[in-house]
Amino acid sequence: MSDEHDHHDHGLSAPVTPEDSGSQALAEALRSSFAIVKIVMLLMVIAFFSSGFFQVGPQEKAVILRFGRPVGDGQKALLTSGLHWSFPYPIDEVVKIPITEQQIVLSTVGWYFTTPEQELSGEEMPAGPSLNPAVDGYAITADRNIIHTRATLYYHIDDPIRFVFDFESASNTVQNALDNALLYTAARFNVDDILTRDVAGFQDAVQQRVTDLTEQEQLGIVIDQCEVQSIPPRQLQTVFAQVTDARENRNKLLNDAHSYENQVLLQSGAEASTITNEAESARARYVDSLTAEAKRFSDLLPKYESNPSLFAQLTLVQTMGQVLTNVQDKIFLPQRADGKPRELRLMLNREPPQPKAGAQTP
Amino acid sequence: MKRNVLTVVIGTVLIVIFALLLFVFQVRRSEVAVVTTFGKPVRNLTEPGAYFKWPWPIQKVYKFDQRTQNFEDKFSENLTADPLTLLTSVYVGWRISDAKAFFPKFAGGNEAAAQRMLESILRSAKSAVIGKHPLSEFVNANPEDLKFDAIENEIKQKVQARLSTNDCGISIEFLGIKKLGLPESVAQAVFTRMTSERQVLISKLQYTGEAEAQEIRSAADRQAAETVANADADATRIRGEGEAEAAKTLPVFQQNPELANFLLRISALQQSLNQRSTLIFDERTPPFDLFQHLPTNSPSQQP
Repeated sequence: MSDEHDHHDHGLSAPVTPEDSGSQALAEALRSSFAIVKIVMLLMVIAFFSSGFFQVGPQEKAVILRFGRPVGDGQKALLTSGLHWSFPYPIDEVVKIPITEQQIVLSTVGWYFTTPEQELSGEEMPAGPSLNPAVDGYAITADRNIIHTRATLYYHIDDPIRFVFDFESASNTVQNALDNALLYTAARFNVDDILTRDVAGFQDAVQQRVTDLTEQEQLGIVIDQCEVQSIPPRQLQTVFAQVTDARENRNKLLNDAHSYENQVLLQSGAEASTITNEAESARARYVDSLTAEAKRFSDLLPKYESNPSLFAQLTLVQTMGQVLTNVQDKIFLPQRADGKPRELRLMLNREPPQPKAGAQTP
Repeated sequence: MKRNVLTVVIGTVLIVIFALLLFVFQVRRSEVAVVTTFGKPVRNLTEPGAYFKWPWPIQKVYKFDQRTQNFEDKFSENLTADPLTLLTSVYVGWRISDAKAFFPKFAGGNEAAAQRMLESILRSAKSAVIGKHPLSEFVNANPEDLKFDAIENEIKQKVQARLSTNDCGISIEFLGIKKLGLPESVAQAVFTRMTSERQVLISKLQYTGEAEAQEIRSAADRQAAETVANADADATRIRGEGEAEAAKTLPVFQQNPELANFLLRISALQQSLNQRSTLIFDERTPPFDLFQHLPTNSPSQQP
């Protein structure tokens, strides 16, 4: 096109004296077509530069490669959603990176042959007598048991530049790391730890291994979460269930024993404190009453010493007075004139035969 | 003239652009490139950027993906040192690190050919390394005996060594085992063993459960009896202390034993007549001795 342009330029400046109308018309036509070409070129230049505008969607980021080199370092190189501009093709190149908040990778390398549809509908293939290594995956535990285990890994991309420009298929690499982590961790754990005793520990160890591997491989991702599911081989499901039952039974027995233990110990503790408390209070009462007696004795002693018989009589009479107010039945039995003893018959039936009354017979 | 200058400028720019297209090429961040002069590799470009070259047919540029690529070998059998048959599958992260070496090796940089070579190298490295280790080094609860990482490393080093001696321009970034398996018949034997292990476990759980429960109960009974016995002993001690303390008051009473005796009897009398009781007495009992000299109309005195 540039050649054409030059050519026309010269063509226009050369014919100074247009003589015949034919060539004049030609010149007119050329002039107007040249104007059209100019406009087209202008439009093309505008199109060329405006082609530099591009849009980044909400689920993606973009990186501008200027002569093949990313513009900006690390996170700064990433363009977020919105409208952006770059130089057109030979200078800049825009690479869009699909990036969802969280990526998910599944590892079924340790699971028997099944599909999600079969699993949902419960129409899985029945378990054969053994496991065909070509079809059914499994892991070998530290005590050389076979178990099925699978994992779901949630991660997000931390360094998209590494993730996209350094790995042909980074998500496959993550998947491989997860497969490896499952096998490696299963090889370190005993079967009962994986299945029942230390399920969380196993899961953490798998996550740790994946994290280590992906860091070593510098995948530029951050592991959010790793969920692991493990089951015994379907062929041995009943016998594993029996172990679970036996373990539950045992726990029940032990729980019962422990509750018995608690009860017995609480009871004996209560009994013991009752015994000691009673002893304490008996002691206190005994000591207090004796102390009070001693004090009373000390108070009375001078009075008694001044006239022992009078004191005795007075005290006795006073006491009798008090005592008799409490006594319910009082029977006065004067002496017979002839001095012979009287005979008295009592019917004591108000209370069980406990003759509390002190009969003072003359 | 002005028009001519403009024309010349535009023309020059266009020529420059055209020349740049002929003489300059770019290497992207994800690529490595090799420049050949009449088919002979001369320059190796690993950094991204724009580079100069002579136009075709003098120089030619071949670009390769330098990103780490995944390769997985077939799930294949090998004998361990035990010897047991073990099926393994290994994944390899490999990349073209030296395009100049890579390019002539594989018929103009054919990646499929490279993978075929990688596979054969991997196969021999794997069987050599696995043959040196017993199964107990693949799976073991004891971290010191577990050689999982070491085995992976050994395979990786063997593969890398073979690749460098062949000068393939390929580097191994990482290598790991991604699948382990046993032949079908062995798996069945493992199932038989697992079943018997489970059964042993079941009977052990039953037996030890009962025994332990019994032990807990009897221990509880013993402890309870001990607690009560201790409390009894404490109670006796406390009472004894009380008596010892009370004995300190004895000298007070010794000042006049007669009075003490009298007072004790008085208080005994008070206590014994505290309840509902019936008292029969004659006129000699104080204070009823007051009645003694009163005239009575008892029948005994009447006649």
